[in-house]
Amino acid sequence: MKKLLAFMLVLVMSFGLVACGTGEEKKKEEATKAATEAAKEEKTEAAKEEKEEKTEAAKEEDKKEEDKKADDKEAKKEEDKKEEAAPAGELNIGVFYYDFADAYIATVRSEMDKMLDKMGVEYKNYDAAGSQPTQTDSIKSAIVAGANLLIVNVVETSSEDAAKEIAAAAKDAEIPVIFFNREVTNDVVNGYEKAAFVGTDAPEAGHLQGEMIGDYLVANFKDIDLNGDGKISYVMFKGQEGNAEAEARTQFAVEDADKILKENKLEALAYYDENADSKFLVDKDGKWSAAAANDYMSTILGSYSEEQNNMVELVIANNDEMALGALSALQNAGYNKEDGKYIPIFGVDATETAQGKIKAGEMVGSVKQDNVGMAATITQLVQNIKDGKELMAGTEELNVDKDVDKIRVPYQKWTAESK
Amino acid sequence: MNSSTDLKKQSFDSKRIINLLINNALIIIMLILVVYVAVTNRNFLQPASLVNLLSLTAAYLPVALGIAGCIVLTGTDLSAGRAVGLTACVAASLLQAVDAPGKMWPNLKPLPIWLVLIISVLIGAAIGVFNGFWVAKFKLHPFIVTLATQLILYTVLLRYVQLGESRGQSISGLDNGYREFVAGSLVKLPIGKGIGIPNYVWYSILLAILMWFIWNKTVFGKNMFALGSNEEAARVSGINVGLTTVAVFALAGAMYGYTGFIEAARIASNTPNTGFNYELDAIAACVIGGVSFVGGIGKISGVIIGVLLLRLIFVALPMVGMDQQLQYAIKGGIILVACALDMRKYLVKR
Amino acid sequence: MPSTPLLEMRGISKAFPGVKALDKVDLTVYPGTVHALMGENGAGKSTLMKCLFGIYHADEGAILLEGEEVNFQNPKEAMEHGVAMVHQELNQALTRSVQDNLWLGRYPTRGGLMVNERKMSQDTKALFKDLGVHINPKQIMSSLPVSQRQMAEIAKAVSYNAKLIVFDEPTSSLTEHEVDHLFRIINDLKAQGCGIIYISHKMDEIFRIADEITVMRDGQWVDTKSVGQTNVGEIIKLMVGRELTHRFPDKTNTPGEVALEVQGMSGAYNLLEDVSFELRQGEILGVAGLDGSGRTEVLETLFGVMTRSGGTIRLHGKEIYNHTPQESVKNGFALLTEERRATGIFAIRDITDNTIIAHTSSYLKRGFYLDSKAMERDTDKSIEALRIKTPSRATAIRSLSGGNQQKVLLGRWLLTEPEVLLLDEPTRGIDVGAKYEIYQLIINLASEGKAVMVVSSEMPELLGICDRILVMSNGHVAGEVDASQTSQEEILTLAEKYI
Repeated sequence: MKKLLAFMLVLVMSFGLVACGTGEEKKKEEATKAATEAAKEEKTEAAKEEKEEKTEAAKEEDKKEEDKKADDKEAKKEEDKKEEAAPAGELNIGVFYYDFADAYIATVRSEMDKMLDKMGVEYKNYDAAGSQPTQTDSIKSAIVAGANLLIVNVVETSSEDAAKEIAAAAKDAEIPVIFFNREVTNDVVNGYEKAAFVGTDAPEAGHLQGEMIGDYLVANFKDIDLNGDGKISYVMFKGQEGNAEAEARTQFAVEDADKILKENKLEALAYYDENADSKFLVDKDGKWSAAAANDYMSTILGSYSEEQNNMVELVIANNDEMALGALSALQNAGYNKEDGKYIPIFGVDATETAQGKIKAGEMVGSVKQDNVGMAATITQLVQNIKDGKELMAGTEELNVDKDVDKIRVPYQKWTAESK
Repeated sequence: MNSSTDLKKQSFDSKRIINLLINNALIIIMLILVVYVAVTNRNFLQPASLVNLLSLTAAYLPVALGIAGCIVLTGTDLSAGRAVGLTACVAASLLQAVDAPGKMWPNLKPLPIWLVLIISVLIGAAIGVFNGFWVAKFKLHPFIVTLATQLILYTVLLRYVQLGESRGQSISGLDNGYREFVAGSLVKLPIGKGIGIPNYVWYSILLAILMWFIWNKTVFGKNMFALGSNEEAARVSGINVGLTTVAVFALAGAMYGYTGFIEAARIASNTPNTGFNYELDAIAACVIGGVSFVGGIGKISGVIIGVLLLRLIFVALPMVGMDQQLQYAIKGGIILVACALDMRKYLVKR
Repeated sequence: MPSTPLLEMRGISKAFPGVKALDKVDLTVYPGTVHALMGENGAGKSTLMKCLFGIYHADEGAILLEGEEVNFQNPKEAMEHGVAMVHQELNQALTRSVQDNLWLGRYPTRGGLMVNERKMSQDTKALFKDLGVHINPKQIMSSLPVSQRQMAEIAKAVSYNAKLIVFDEPTSSLTEHEVDHLFRIINDLKAQGCGIIYISHKMDEIFRIADEITVMRDGQWVDTKSVGQTNVGEIIKLMVGRELTHRFPDKTNTPGEVALEVQGMSGAYNLLEDVSFELRQGEILGVAGLDGSGRTEVLETLFGVMTRSGGTIRLHGKEIYNHTPQESVKNGFALLTEERRATGIFAIRDITDNTIIAHTSSYLKRGFYLDSKAMERDTDKSIEALRIKTPSRATAIRSLSGGNQQKVLLGRWLLTEPEVLLLDEPTRGIDVGAKYEIYQLIINLASEGKAVMVVSSEMPELLGICDRILVMSNGHVAGEVDASQTSQEEILTLAEKYI
């Protein structure tokens, strides 16, 4: 009797799940229908963007001519490799994301899903939920289950061991591995001929953000310096301890801004709390989350204000989520609305939401981390494998590091004028 | 003879004082902390700073109020954070401004705010009913049930944010009326340019009163405590144990739903990370406030003190230049001490 | 006697795996009378009551309340039909107030949702006034002494306006004064036409309050007598069912030299005060006394389970301390606890594990792993020596009968080769045949020269197997008697010495 009951329960539940699924699907269909028009527009925009990219790429080529020797070396390597290149079989791709919950990664995932679908290859997405052991385990299981191409958004970036282990596992199985977004060391990529990295130049985001901040402050110094003490007091929101990108952004955004301020004979940035050991506030859960920045910001606003002449005059965040969280706290306190009181906020990623806020003037700027470009570059490599070509074939156009197969998708400053 | 009884009396009195000190240790710790911080950093006692402490407490209180009920039943609820995340994303997606960039449902006009509040609370309550069903029907420990639910909810949440046009973007660009409703301030303290008390503070106060009423003045509340205190006695007295269990979890779920609705507008940018780990802070607040895992014991005032103390640590320690890394240890230490003091009452010496 | 019975239980039978707990038991209670239900532990009194209240469902038989057949599904339903019970083991929500407990599950409400605290408080006060109970209704249950909690439980049963109230050992934690109070309440209830079922071991109480007595033995109805037509001796004979002399094996042990000397032992957190006694090798020393007189405390304090605040313990003239059970085991002590299920057996583990658990270190091989062959060999030896009836040593101990479980536990302690065996209620919840075997084992152990202390609430048992009996009264030693010279009356008189 009890068994029967349990069985029926399971049946009902699974039915419920299926029903949910179809419901979702229907919704999706409706949404896509509704969005076809928007999509058309997007396409033309994308085309425009591509053009822009190409001009950039051309610039970079100039740089590269200097590196021709290196390229020659690579060409040789490629020839060597060609002999071993596997014939095109059925592709079975495993894509390993460090955390589905990360907003920027989620946008990369949407783009990548679209492109891979279009290419008609089989692929499977895995979520490490921020845990390297989980990711390593799922990679090993995927290999056993027959995956023959790995695309890995590695979790652990503060040491190279994890990435090395993944590369070694791929090498053992003789399948190519493409690391992306979160940087792995040169040794990892060079240690295996079928390994590549697609990412950004991590410090670049910090440099661009710093430049943007410096330029903005030089142009608007008097308005920003609310208490007129000739110093801009700032707060920095760091996404995570021990993350290479977070470290670089935290460091260079301030350093580069200071450099520009100095060139213009202005005082360097001053951290809002002069007693603090570390000149940043970090999301303790390591999630780069809006909620963490929001709690910090509202707490700061509790004891730093214009009345006391110690108001925070500049907000710098490692990513847009945290920038938005801080923005929300500021808005709750009456800032950055229509009526003038304004604290400049800078983020990184230029997510669509942040772009909207920048356009509306609630944030000053961000650094675009090109999700479409990232996905497109990875897909290009996938296409190479599919066609039985070299992993790095046809990437000469792109921004590739000297002695290592690391492709850099460029960052772009994003301000109200950008489109 | 006389002197010995005097001695006995004296030691009895000093014992009583020590007991009094130990039983109120948390409040004393809190007061010492407040005094120390106030002396070290005079910003701390500024009205704006106190209002912020109040606001943060108000924001984190409802989840703790919900979980407290589960703990009174000798259970717990690990699904709170994900339930908050899901309801926050749902609420936000239904209340995005028409011109929000990357709007999830591009053709959807913002729904009435009250309707979204009800939807959030209902979703939360449904999650609670689901938890309660497994606990009541199969006698599973709530730890296990909610551990599972939490995982299931995460999938639902990840799927949800991929729906529509948002494609995993954070859900923001919220309708201004909604933001005002939650985070705006109807009441301003007449100090300086006016210090606004966010509206959600009032809502939290109302909720605390409501929960106090439910816990202390209703049949359901009394049944809940009886059940937590001695399930067998409750059953023998004809209390519907299963229904009460489900209702406790449903009430907790409704609280998470409400919190999701508030957090969505308070933080204004919602991802699957929203609500992450909220349950741990809430559980910690409850046990610090004397809601005992022994079951059948707890007070709303205790929960409020627990949440306040945790927020105080968050706000005050950085003010005195305390290293951020040390905060974890202090939090952990307070949880241990609080629970040890609590259990001390139940230790029977033999 | 009124013509129609209030309650009739006819031919009730109930079997549990391996045990026939009730075998065609009859019970008839008339309104306005007190009906005593008597029998030794395990005679089936509690099981019969559980069948009445729907906690168990009888396999056979019928229950008639005022002539109509009823079949309660749970205690709540029984109460709604005017049948209430005061449990021996208090089942209360300890963290809640007295009045919350009293009206649990039936709170007076405003509008069905809100509890009407004022009415609840008033009702409670009125009820307590009626019954002459002086308890603050708002006090938290756990802060009350057990006797007041018992009175609250009695008040609760009365508050149901029950036609029939069952009292299960209601006086076990009451003072004499409170017992008088309880009997006044019972007489009032009787006068109102209420029927009472009164379960107790205390003969004097039964003869003071009861109108009729039903005696049960080994799950069977034995006899029902009117109080006027019987006497204590007859009831005991009915309960025991045979002459005392036949119930115990021959004593073959002879006490030798003094092994253990206890001087002025007091408990830090219990009622023991200045307890002194001697125990000889090969001697069986009984510890008698009423419930709560400190019998168990003597053993547990001696063994280091409870904290000792004063006094000295000497084993063969050498002072020992027994601060903790570990230390006591090292000193050659062994304690068989009173609550077999709660503090004795590891229910789901097999017999091997249950046998060797107090002695694991002796099976260590090369210092880090357990020698399973040796463990199995010793378990087999123990099974054979104690004649434990079990399918195999791999059987989970919970599937054995109480007597065999007790033998496994005895076997566990014998493996440690103790000098002093402390046995707390060694035959509780064990059927009569198995009891005889346990007695035989105890006497054999004494014959081998072990010093044995036995705590028991069953006086005949102490008289039957012990050499001397230590009588406890309210934490003090009230006297020491020679088991072969004394009588139950003498022991009972001593037991009341310090109350």
